[in-house]
Amino acid sequence: MKNMKNIILISSLLICAAIAANPVETGHARASLITNIENSTQESFYVGVRLEMQDGWHTYWENPGDSGSPFEAKWKVSDGTVVENVQWPTPVTIPYPPLMTFGYEGDVVFPFKVFRSLDSPLEKISLEFDFLICADICIPESASLTLDLSSAPPSLLLNKAVTNLPTNFIQTNSSSDQETLKVTFQSSEEIKSAYLFPKQDNVFVYTPSQKLVKLNDDTYEISVPLLSSDINFFSGILSLNGEGFQIEENLQSVSSMSLWQAILFALIGGLILNLMPCVFPVISLKVLSFVSMGGDDHAKIRTHALSFAGGVMSTFISIATALLIIRSSGSMIGWGYQLQSPIVVGILTLIMLGIGLVLLTNINFAAGLTTLGSSVQSRNDYSGSFFTGVLAVVVASPCTAPFMGAAIGYALLQPSFATLPIFIALGLGFAGPYLILALKPQWISALPKPGAWMETLKQFFAFPMIATALWLMWVFMVQTSGDALILLLILSLILGAAVWMIATFKGRWKWIGMIMTVITAFQIFNNLPASSNEMRVDASAEKWSLEIESEMQSQNQAYLINFTAAWCITCQTNEKTALAREKVKEYLAEENITYVKADWTNRNEEIAIGLAKYERTGIPLYIFWKPGMRGSKILPAVLTEDSLIKSMQ
Amino acid sequence: MKLYINLIASFLIASISFAGDIELQNPSTNQKAPDFSGINSYGEMIRLSDFIGKPVILEWTNHECPYVARHYNENNMQAVQKIAQDQEIIWLSIISSTPGDQGHVSPSKANELTVARGAYPSHVLLDESGEIGMLYGAKTTPHMFMIDANGVLRYKGAIDDIGRGMQFFDASFSKAVNYVSSQLPKLITQKALGIDSTVAYGCSVKYNYD
Repeated sequence: MKNMKNIILISSLLICAAIAANPVETGHARASLITNIENSTQESFYVGVRLEMQDGWHTYWENPGDSGSPFEAKWKVSDGTVVENVQWPTPVTIPYPPLMTFGYEGDVVFPFKVFRSLDSPLEKISLEFDFLICADICIPESASLTLDLSSAPPSLLLNKAVTNLPTNFIQTNSSSDQETLKVTFQSSEEIKSAYLFPKQDNVFVYTPSQKLVKLNDDTYEISVPLLSSDINFFSGILSLNGEGFQIEENLQSVSSMSLWQAILFALIGGLILNLMPCVFPVISLKVLSFVSMGGDDHAKIRTHALSFAGGVMSTFISIATALLIIRSSGSMIGWGYQLQSPIVVGILTLIMLGIGLVLLTNINFAAGLTTLGSSVQSRNDYSGSFFTGVLAVVVASPCTAPFMGAAIGYALLQPSFATLPIFIALGLGFAGPYLILALKPQWISALPKPGAWMETLKQFFAFPMIATALWLMWVFMVQTSGDALILLLILSLILGAAVWMIATFKGRWKWIGMIMTVITAFQIFNNLPASSNEMRVDASAEKWSLEIESEMQSQNQAYLINFTAAWCITCQTNEKTALAREKVKEYLAEENITYVKADWTNRNEEIAIGLAKYERTGIPLYIFWKPGMRGSKILPAVLTEDSLIKSMQ
Repeated sequence: MKLYINLIASFLIASISFAGDIELQNPSTNQKAPDFSGINSYGEMIRLSDFIGKPVILEWTNHECPYVARHYNENNMQAVQKIAQDQEIIWLSIISSTPGDQGHVSPSKANELTVARGAYPSHVLLDESGEIGMLYGAKTTPHMFMIDANGVLRYKGAIDDIGRGMQFFDASFSKAVNYVSSQLPKLITQKALGIDSTVAYGCSVKYNYD
């Protein structure tokens, strides 16, 4: 009886051994699991799948080429152990004219990096390895492999495979025309053969060879035929004399815009900016102040108009200079980026609220129009007009007018000499109406005659200002927290009291009010909780990543990307009038279009790079692609329900 | 005289480039589908332009290819063929395997396969030379093309969305988006399809490359 038990035990052990076999004959290959771990104190090491294929048989790289499929590895490991994705060795071309495939022949090792926590014991690691093996014909084969990490001998073969992995990046500089991508690279070694294995499918034509030209001593160029002429990104492995290098490049499309065109766009964009919702209230005040000057002499009107334009211009020039300085430090920046700082948003909130309060209280209209109600302006100097100009640009920063996005994108992505002219053009466009007024002060008589209606209108304009302040408070809350918002609200209360004191009392009380506000503001902003970097979660949208476009394109998944931020009012308007509407949501669901949101409310370098791909530095930006389109398309900056749906058809 | 020399020279260059390479074409969707003629399994000459007035679906096939085999073993391809047949859509199964290679069949074997698998092709074309395959840029089996009643190519690519990677052999057809059957209603309206081009997957077409 005892013997019987032993027999059962032994035979079940044998079965186990058969299941856990290593290596395994799969039919046309022998598969085995190897490792290079040397001792139990290693936190990271490699395991490798060695595939010894019979002569004439091959398996595939991650992009298999015209046909075939990469393998699939399903790991079973103990808790505390993580196996990363495979690190692909450099593939070779396996031509079956007129088709071309990419893969591996003969004896190949696929290395996988493993991380383990040292408190867990070294245990067995198991793998289901499914792969397609082909000669003239293709056969799916598989192997169940198990390796005991505590006893496996370190494999020199795996070490060699890891050393030969294409891990180094090589810098490439590429340009494309309708039919070919020309990739230049440098090598001190003499290059006899070169082949670019692209990761993206449906972009390139897979040819048996790619034309290699030596441009000079150490510069080479290979030509890769294209399936689609619109290519803005590619990555893959460049094989040089059989040695692989990683490549990845964003193509700067050979400038789609000339400097003159960008300047023209900036002029038009600046002009339209006057009408954008964030600027309009401030601008209307300026218009009102000109109305009130209707009876004044022309020289005075001219000087006011010029002061305002001066304020606008000097602010645009300061912004351009600041952007250039920041850019030279290597950071990616964009239009409206200053609103990514909650402190700036907080200060703007107070400015807006302050203007609103000044308008509502009976501080002298002519005197306190746009300044925070000191006696400065009653002296009839022009700093008030200048300051309004500055303020108009500051509040304009969350807005992008049509044409402006393209112009600023050009300004910031092209060499520095282009930046300043474009910003100056933007300022000229923005200040354009007032410059004309400076030239022709008599035109002011075309405006309605001043009168009591102005007082009413002035008070009415307090409400758009306060509404703007409310919106900025919301931005502030999204960037920080509810607690911080309460602090800002307390500050608003103090500001209210200060304005009241300034309006009601005389002499030193005014100063006390001002000082009180400034001190409290300083205290609060100084102790502001760090901005929460968590993105707001929008359940209906996918989260954006830099690779999402190439991923979705390779899966033939249509998509709509919305680059947005809480501080971008044009974006918010578009959400309300188009993107968040039921009809649009239904259309997206019906047509199976994935909606992706890139939230730039807080600083995010990746999103800035993502925007740069489209030669943009500001938002809103809407990107749409569906299978069959050669490249993705930029939708208009101002959307309506119908125009959005139409542009996706 | 000079003119004649030029003419002769350009003729020579043209004929060289025609005879020289074996090159896959890449027909554009939403444009006229290239016309072709071929021999079906009953020895009849079939011409694409004969079917003007009816939509046509082209299916590149190779019964021994594991990808194709799975589509037929699980009755997936036949189901799509049946839907097409019910709507009087012409279905051409095309075999571009060169003689001696995998998937190449005699006419009688082709008919046998149709009966044995319960398939519903209108015709099975034997494209031994690979001429039709290269004209359409057929790369894999299966590789699908949809042509509307006006002879406009409306779709080229994979039959469904589960072909990427080895998961194909585990994935369920019931969960797949079938680009052909799901777009048949729109094909009949003779308008551009929502998805007009995808990357085909499967075994390579066994062209004569030796």
